[in-house]
Amino acid sequence: MDERSDNDLVQASCQGDRTAYAGLVGRHYGEVFLVCLGVLGNVHDAEDVAQDAMIKGFERIRQLRQGSQFGGWVIAIARNLSVNLLRSRRPAQKTLGIEAVSHEHPGESAHEDLQWAMAQLPWDLRLPLVMYYFDGQNVRAVAEKLDISTSGVYQKLRTAVKELHDILTTQGDTP
Amino acid sequence: MNRPCPDRRDAIVDTMLGALDARQAEALREHLNECSGCREYLASLQEQSESLVDLGREIGSGMAARQDRVIEALREIAPARSRTRLVLPFLGGLARTAVAAVLLLAAGIGIGRWTAPRPVDVEQLRADLESSVVASLAPAVQERVLAQVDQRLLTALSANDAKLRADLGWQVHEDLCLLAAQSRADSEELVRMKFGELVDLIEAARRTDRQQVAKALDQIRTQTGRGLYTLAVRANDSTTDMRN
Repeated sequence: MDERSDNDLVQASCQGDRTAYAGLVGRHYGEVFLVCLGVLGNVHDAEDVAQDAMIKGFERIRQLRQGSQFGGWVIAIARNLSVNLLRSRRPAQKTLGIEAVSHEHPGESAHEDLQWAMAQLPWDLRLPLVMYYFDGQNVRAVAEKLDISTSGVYQKLRTAVKELHDILTTQGDTP
Repeated sequence: MNRPCPDRRDAIVDTMLGALDARQAEALREHLNECSGCREYLASLQEQSESLVDLGREIGSGMAARQDRVIEALREIAPARSRTRLVLPFLGGLARTAVAAVLLLAAGIGIGRWTAPRPVDVEQLRADLESSVVASLAPAVQERVLAQVDQRLLTALSANDAKLRADLGWQVHEDLCLLAAQSRADSEELVRMKFGELVDLIEAARRTDRQQVAKALDQIRTQTGRGLYTLAVRANDSTTDMRN
């Protein structure tokens, strides 16, 4: 693990130092991936978009004025890319009725059911849910990363937990 | 499964999230002791919460491999371009850019020939360099052309301005002369007219005087006889002499 600060690693990356940028990837990739997963709702898409976000971060790193802000900056890139992908797919999904089909074919194991149920949530509820449960259950940290208030995070988590439970129990009741 | 009380659902979720204060938590505990539907709801939510944490661990276990794939992909990405500039202060802007472009082109070809272990596709290299040179020159050339257009526009405007000023001065001069001539002619005409009116007035007054004098003389002649008439004629002649 590179001991240098984000600022030092960003400065070195600006000179084309890939090793320094690899240090930034190691430090921030996890959060970037979770943001992508939270918005997109499936691991495969999240992997692709998180990789795109880290590569774009490398290509645009000279645009970053303060190296210490790299984490928030690259998370914002990841979030924008994810939301754009989601929006570009939504009309096609609606046209093809993919959501209706997915209701009829939930997975069989417990985690597949859970992943399927999470995919049914709106992304702005799924994102705090993923960041809270997959990354240490710290509301304040989630609020800082999403740049919203802690009460806002609690509100979204409360709604997300209830809706997720409703989806799972409704699915269980369905013959 | 029994349904939870609708007005307790939020509190049950909040207690699981650790968002209740001590008093609210105590009130909920008392309710849970009496309500099986809410107890089952809380247990189900806790189970869901544990499943979420497990799922997060499962997904997170592949994180190192994902990072490695990202780092591998980064090796194929060109780093951001350097901003270093070649400074040639003794040349003008466009000439400096052109010289830099020629040097860049020559250096590119030279380095390409020198380092290439196999024959270099010179045409491809030249096309690439030309496109990059055009891309680098385009803003400078555009700026230069705009500056020249501005300069010419300013020159044309200033020439037009001088001509316009001269024309305007000449026009003002002409107008003033015409106005002066007209004023002089008008004033002469006015003086002539007023003088004629004055002569007419004097003539009219003189005629009136003569008529009145003649009338008076007639009266005197009839009333006082020849002697006085002669006296009056003489007096009239002397008055006329005085006036002239």
